[in-house]
Amino acid sequence: MNRVVVTGIGVVSPVGSTRVEFWSALVEGRSGIGPLTNVPTERLTTRIAAQVRDFDPSRHFESKRESLLDRFSQFAVVAARAAVKDAQLEITEEIALEAGTIVGNSAGGQNTFDESYFKLYGQNAPRLHPLTIPRLMSNAAVSQVSMDLGLKGPTFTIASACASGTHAIGQAFQMVRSGQVPVAITGGTEACLTVGTIKGWEALRVLSADTCRPFSRTRSGLVLGEGAAIFVIESRDRAMARGAPIYAELSGFGMSADAGDITALDPDGAARAMRAALSDAKLNPEDVDYVNAHGTATVMNDKTETVALRKAFGGSAETLAVSSSKGVLGHSLGAAGALEFAATALALHHQTIPPTANFEEADPACDLDFVPNTARNAPLQNAMSSSFAFGGLNAVLVLSRA
Amino acid sequence: MGRNVEVIDDVRSIIAKSLKIPIERLTPDARLDEMGAESLDVIEIVFDLEEKFNISIPFKADEGTSLKIPGKDGQEELEFSTVSDLAKAVERLVEAQASK
Repeated sequence: MNRVVVTGIGVVSPVGSTRVEFWSALVEGRSGIGPLTNVPTERLTTRIAAQVRDFDPSRHFESKRESLLDRFSQFAVVAARAAVKDAQLEITEEIALEAGTIVGNSAGGQNTFDESYFKLYGQNAPRLHPLTIPRLMSNAAVSQVSMDLGLKGPTFTIASACASGTHAIGQAFQMVRSGQVPVAITGGTEACLTVGTIKGWEALRVLSADTCRPFSRTRSGLVLGEGAAIFVIESRDRAMARGAPIYAELSGFGMSADAGDITALDPDGAARAMRAALSDAKLNPEDVDYVNAHGTATVMNDKTETVALRKAFGGSAETLAVSSSKGVLGHSLGAAGALEFAATALALHHQTIPPTANFEEADPACDLDFVPNTARNAPLQNAMSSSFAFGGLNAVLVLSRA
Repeated sequence: MGRNVEVIDDVRSIIAKSLKIPIERLTPDARLDEMGAESLDVIEIVFDLEEKFNISIPFKADEGTSLKIPGKDGQEELEFSTVSDLAKAVERLVEAQASK
């Protein structure tokens, strides 16, 4: 069994598209939530989002190529290029043939869906663009990453709603650990801030009208986001041999399903996934210093997640630092787990806990140390990143200081 | 009174259909949660009421059993847990819609 490390981090996020901008916003608790400007908002009640701003695809793709890529694929390719560069990974023939490419995504090419259906139903267009299907298919992003970097090994996408990114990284981790692939390019991507999708979320009545305040008594719901985070992960031996930068070690992965409610989180299911991840990492609850929580800022999620953390961590929950990055990043669904994995890896790398942004006052139902608003320097040996998806699918990763 | 009876009867039949229970069980004091409604059921019932009465019900899943609607003096909070609560809220919103 290989030890597995993270050697490259690439992000496209509401708070910037370099690792440095991303991390400084998280540490400062500077929120990327703002007015929704990429789509017409007249028919929407919710007009805020954690939107990726100032993303100009023409800076990254020539026009013929750009027309092939939905926004969710553009994000993934740009983040993947950044991760490979960050890892100083040369795509040799061996890497090209053997590396795994596994990207999580929940909703496919929603911008393409929305534009096409508007033409079809709204404008009675007789036909759609010939690249409609290749742009909107759920695997478009991972396929575009594979084509862009010339990666020809095991390549597929994982869809598990808000846990997609975490499931993808977990799968890639297991493939590198077992020796099935020497290196993997993995993460998550999402771009579904369209009129159609936002209307769907409005109908679920869980969106906040102002901002995202995880674990705060005054929390008012979630705020949708978008973005991508892609990583290079590889065996520790290989990374050391080639002198690659190492951000953190990936030490455990746990999964579970609630088999219960379609939307409500089940504390037992969530706690089982956390415990499975700890057991996979061969760690005890008290070995974990920091949890980057799912923390969506709905009343129910945050209360239930607190119960789940107590179930999984027992007495050591009292001394555990927990924060949610969603006050800064919003909830980018299939990309959320990957962006939060980046936050967790960087927390270990910088030995700094990013705070829970927008925190106003403590909620008796959420009675853990949520690191409100101010980052904290602390010796961090092990950390956890959790994702709990609609449909009751839970995925949890454990990382350790490299 | 005639109109109110109509509203409450429509509310009862929408709830009965959604929860698949006999309409007779839905007395005015019947609480949705005690009738077996889970959070997604309530969201569906709200959606059906909005469609039926052509209104917008400012219901948030997180606020559960209350409803904040714009009143004469700013926001007004209405109970939203029994059959008659729902009927009252619908009537208020239908009136507000008509006076616009």
